[in-house]
Amino acid sequence: MNKLTLIAAVLSMAGLAGTAQADKLDDIISSGKLRCAVVLDFPPMGMRDANNQPIGFDVDYCKDLAAALGVTAEIVETPFPERIPALMSGRVDVGVASTSDTLERAKTVGFSIPYFAFEMAVTANNKTGITSYDGMKGYTVGAVAGTYEAIALEAQVKEWGEGNFRPYQTQADVFLALSQGQLDATVSTSTVAQANVQSGNFGDISVVGFAPFDTDYVALFAKRNEYGFLNYLNLFVNQQVRTGRYDELYEKWVGGEVPQLVVPNVYR
Amino acid sequence: MFDTALTVNDLIFLARGAGMTIIVTAISVVIGTLLGILFGVIRVQLGPILAAPLTFVLDIFRSVPLLIQLVLGNAFIGMVLQLQISGFTVACIVLSLYTSAYCAEIVRGGIDAVPEITRRAARSLGLTWGQDMRYIVLPLATRVALPSWIGLALGVMKDSALVYVVQVTELLKSTQILITRLQEPLFLLLICGAFYFIISFPLARFGGYLEKRWSND
Amino acid sequence: MFDYTFQWKQALNRLPQMLDGALVTMEIAILSMIMGIALAIVLTLLRLSGSRPLIAIATTWVEVARNTPALFQIYMAHFGVASFGIHFSPFVSILIGITFNNAGYLAENFRGALKAIPDTQARAGRSLGLSELQSFRYIIMPQMLRISFLPMTNQMVWAILMTSLGVTVGMNTDLYGVTQDLNALTFRTFELFALAAVIFYLITKTITLGGRLIAARLFRY
Repeated sequence: MNKLTLIAAVLSMAGLAGTAQADKLDDIISSGKLRCAVVLDFPPMGMRDANNQPIGFDVDYCKDLAAALGVTAEIVETPFPERIPALMSGRVDVGVASTSDTLERAKTVGFSIPYFAFEMAVTANNKTGITSYDGMKGYTVGAVAGTYEAIALEAQVKEWGEGNFRPYQTQADVFLALSQGQLDATVSTSTVAQANVQSGNFGDISVVGFAPFDTDYVALFAKRNEYGFLNYLNLFVNQQVRTGRYDELYEKWVGGEVPQLVVPNVYR
Repeated sequence: MFDTALTVNDLIFLARGAGMTIIVTAISVVIGTLLGILFGVIRVQLGPILAAPLTFVLDIFRSVPLLIQLVLGNAFIGMVLQLQISGFTVACIVLSLYTSAYCAEIVRGGIDAVPEITRRAARSLGLTWGQDMRYIVLPLATRVALPSWIGLALGVMKDSALVYVVQVTELLKSTQILITRLQEPLFLLLICGAFYFIISFPLARFGGYLEKRWSND
Repeated sequence: MFDYTFQWKQALNRLPQMLDGALVTMEIAILSMIMGIALAIVLTLLRLSGSRPLIAIATTWVEVARNTPALFQIYMAHFGVASFGIHFSPFVSILIGITFNNAGYLAENFRGALKAIPDTQARAGRSLGLSELQSFRYIIMPQMLRISFLPMTNQMVWAILMTSLGVTVGMNTDLYGVTQDLNALTFRTFELFALAAVIFYLITKTITLGGRLIAARLFRY
């Protein structure tokens, strides 16, 4: 009887081990499809063309990753606040969504090495006469809820002790509010700021300077326990730089000096 | 009248969003109504004490913002149960349960509105419980419940505007996407509002008409 | 089977912040109800006025409020009216949006309640020498409000639930806004929103039960 139980236990463990062996990387390859969470109102990283089809740096990056895996890419639009729920609920395999790799978030999801780095820029409504980061003191400022710059800017407004901070749900709403004069200024990534100012869609606004925040390194993210897949992502980011594809994509969507993805004086 | 950059493509995009709104609403109202009838009848049959657990669960759907129900439903199904289903399915499941909670109330109110004495008379004439429900309660309760039910169905259509949080691109979300590109918020919002109004208003009026007609006799 | 590890402590640590958010949520709901009831009475009077343009204004308000999504109304109150150069803060926008909605639904409730009050009462008031407005104020309105008391508590519950839509116009101090910000910080979606759901449930239950208790005490005949 005891022997039987033991055999049953061993068998069931073997069975469990068998199901656990196929990890995310295997699942993606066998399903033939890579589903990426991308934020599509975040030009030039993610946006829509005249036919409302997704385009942008992140969209191309996802397609490159899919090509490397030998599968087809599927872009799943996710607003900033919904990136992690979309991953956790298994609706996407990987986030290619300009996500800052904070330690707090890394308690919940797994990050790759950085694949892009943002400088933060201040964009102001010209009517306000704001000309610098410190010039925003006392004004109504805003950013996209849940982003790196929103968290930093809200803390700054609290420190200044005057003015208001407003988080909006999407980058589009932030610039809409800015052009309408509901916001006096915003802090966003400099790439987004330039793309939006150049589009001419938002009227009388201009980039007035840089925000003295730390460089915002953004990383791909996947489920925390999918080491195999995370390893693959790290190598993929490395290869993108090595092969010159990173520079190529940067030139295509952003232009100018390519940001360094390495941090001096430390590994990884 | 309006100088707009809106193209035919964009109109098709909006129409697709409107189609999504209608599909999500239709599925949720059908499933929610069937469940609601089931829950409503169970509640009446079991009485308030035995049905308390069911009442409690249904009550939650009416006491928590739909937005939170969607976020939680999504997180629960995906993160905890590890089921890989689409946002569309999550939206339909949550909205169906949400509908059923309100529908159960309407059904219960409808059944309660049938006079006890009528039902006893039916039973004493030899009708079974099923026959009583089918021939006495159903026609009488429907008269009470139908106008509220129309109101509920329209309410679900309007509330379906929130399913954008689980990545379903319905009408309001499509409108926001176009606002992002075209920067014509007022014009686009008016189109979107007009669409909801055109569907909702006549049906709401019809419900009001039924209510008036049936309450007079 | 469950490879998700719950970390309730992370959410519970944030409870004080969420309760502060709950206070803001209640503040919005209460203010929007007070203004909503006042406006609904005005809309009811307009509908009774007999003047075509006034009736048209009131009817349009009521029908738009009842036939478009609340989210649409709130979004409109912020981004829509800004096209005319009118700017409201997020707090004011959500307040206007919910008040607009409350007033529309309550005016419709009031109309139903008026049907239950016999015409003869208003006429009796008039023959006692009250003006039309006086007879509405002292005879009809108290009964109308009494009959609509339970629908009003229902609308109050709706107002609480609708505050969750404030995030779309930049609110982050109400319960939903606070929860969403905490979620962005920690990515603990399930735990945080489950806690928010419990708080919402307790608030709405308190309103419904409180409403029933008050109704039982006030309206004994």
